[in-house]
Amino acid sequence: MARMKFFCDAERCIECNGCVTACKNENEVPWGVNRRRVVTIKDGEPGERSLSVACMHCSDAPCAAVCPVDCFYTNDDGIVLHDKDTCIGCGYCFYACPFGAPQFPSDAAFASRGKMDKCTFCAGGPEVTHSSEEFTKYGSNRVAEGKLPLCAEMCATKALLAGDADVLSDIYRKRIVNRGASVMNWGVQFNKAGIDG
Amino acid sequence: MAAENRHNSGRVRKIVLFCVFSLLVVVTVPLIPYAIDAYAVAGKQASVEKVAALEHPAINLWNEVRQRNEKVQGTTQVKGVDTGTLINKAGEDWRQFRVEQLVPYGAWFIGGVFGAIVLFYLFRGTQLMPGGRTGVLIPRFTLNQRTAHWFTAGVFWLLAITGLILLYGRYVLIPVLGAEGFSVTASACKEMHNLFGPLFIVSVLAMFVLYVRHNFFNLGDLKWFAKGGGMFGGHVSAGRFNAGEKTWFWLVIIFGSALCVSGLILVLAALVPGREILSLAHVFHGISAVLLIAVSFGHIYLGTVGVEGTLDSMTTGSVDAAWAKAHHDQWYAEMMNDSDAVEAVDQEQGSGLAEGGVARPEAGS
Repeated sequence: MARMKFFCDAERCIECNGCVTACKNENEVPWGVNRRRVVTIKDGEPGERSLSVACMHCSDAPCAAVCPVDCFYTNDDGIVLHDKDTCIGCGYCFYACPFGAPQFPSDAAFASRGKMDKCTFCAGGPEVTHSSEEFTKYGSNRVAEGKLPLCAEMCATKALLAGDADVLSDIYRKRIVNRGASVMNWGVQFNKAGIDG
Repeated sequence: MAAENRHNSGRVRKIVLFCVFSLLVVVTVPLIPYAIDAYAVAGKQASVEKVAALEHPAINLWNEVRQRNEKVQGTTQVKGVDTGTLINKAGEDWRQFRVEQLVPYGAWFIGGVFGAIVLFYLFRGTQLMPGGRTGVLIPRFTLNQRTAHWFTAGVFWLLAITGLILLYGRYVLIPVLGAEGFSVTASACKEMHNLFGPLFIVSVLAMFVLYVRHNFFNLGDLKWFAKGGGMFGGHVSAGRFNAGEKTWFWLVIIFGSALCVSGLILVLAALVPGREILSLAHVFHGISAVLLIAVSFGHIYLGTVGVEGTLDSMTTGSVDAAWAKAHHDQWYAEMMNDSDAVEAVDQEQGSGLAEGGVARPEAGS
């Protein structure tokens, strides 16, 4: 059984925000809602690295654990989705999520947030696949068309990968080994990387 | 002979030297590869250390992403609360608290207190007024005090029920109402809780202003606590409020204030920077609410079925003299000395006035 995951390679991400743009365009996400964002650590200093982050589709999702109306579910591909018809907009998922994935369209008085919105791995929601209701509430359903999330597909440096966790692990492992061959030149601590042979 | 001997001794020395030399060679030659290997290993280690000194600038990246050593704030193009944080561990602490502590322990505590009160009632029954009603009424609470009490009670239960539905509905109500049905209920509860919540601030303030005068603890309260408030039989001497009532008052004020402050933070979430403050406010809100709900069962029990005549003080505002004498003897004595305070009611037999006249001298006895 596949287990869909995102993986962002910090050595490749160039903070172009292409993934953010692709996501907003593909899913027609409203203003103020950002399903994906690029965060740069040590901006402008030595060791600067950028990472693209969205819902990580956790196996043991904190959002699902704290939801008072139990509106989250994990589909057969291991993608964490939620039902906007049952969501009451309490914001508990926002408190619990370590990645800041849950987004709310409003921040009005009396904690009126509106229905929660988050990355769906471009897999739509509980509505009929490819219906207009599904697109309005959850955005695109590329997974049903056999495609991967557009953010990862559009990534220019292939830093952001999406797909089955096993496949992603293999790709990243190969990258690490190839980098290991030239680490002497790069100054990477190859003895700590565990491939000093 | 001597020369031959000298020659012989020279040969022997040569043979001995040869033997020692060849022995040395035989012993040391096989060790040479080991020596070379050792030399090579030492050289390699030296080169490894040389490379290690060239530290990769991003070596601490994942420590920083995981916020292991210090909180590292990143930069991002996305504007919003906490968007520069990649991983925020605080949410997981809050999740543990809510799912593994607040939900189960809260249920056990509220259910346990309720069960204990039911058992106590079955065991003790209603505590009746000794000697029955006298018909002499002593004013206890003004209209303002009673209004503040019932306003607080109303707001408290509206918030308690909506809050409990939000906390336990997932486990209790979804199997009954279904996901969609419970969603409507929960949504209504959330809106009511958020909109009427601020009224509780008004009610806690009103309670404080109108009741604080009689609720300061004194030395006599220690005796009341020592005797368990008469829970195990007998009556304990008390003034206008006994130590239990004073404790309840201060619990309402302290935990009520905690509920108000944390509730305001949660309602004004848009003004709060970061998730840590919100989840901390939620922790205080949950603990205070569970505590007050559980203790309020005791208050309601004693005010209604637990002790006969107590409810009168909050409905009509007056209590029967027999009730006052039994439960608040010091206050009873004070009130009886104040001749204007006491009023007698004309009971069905019309004997109330006469009894009232008789009742007053009793104060001295």
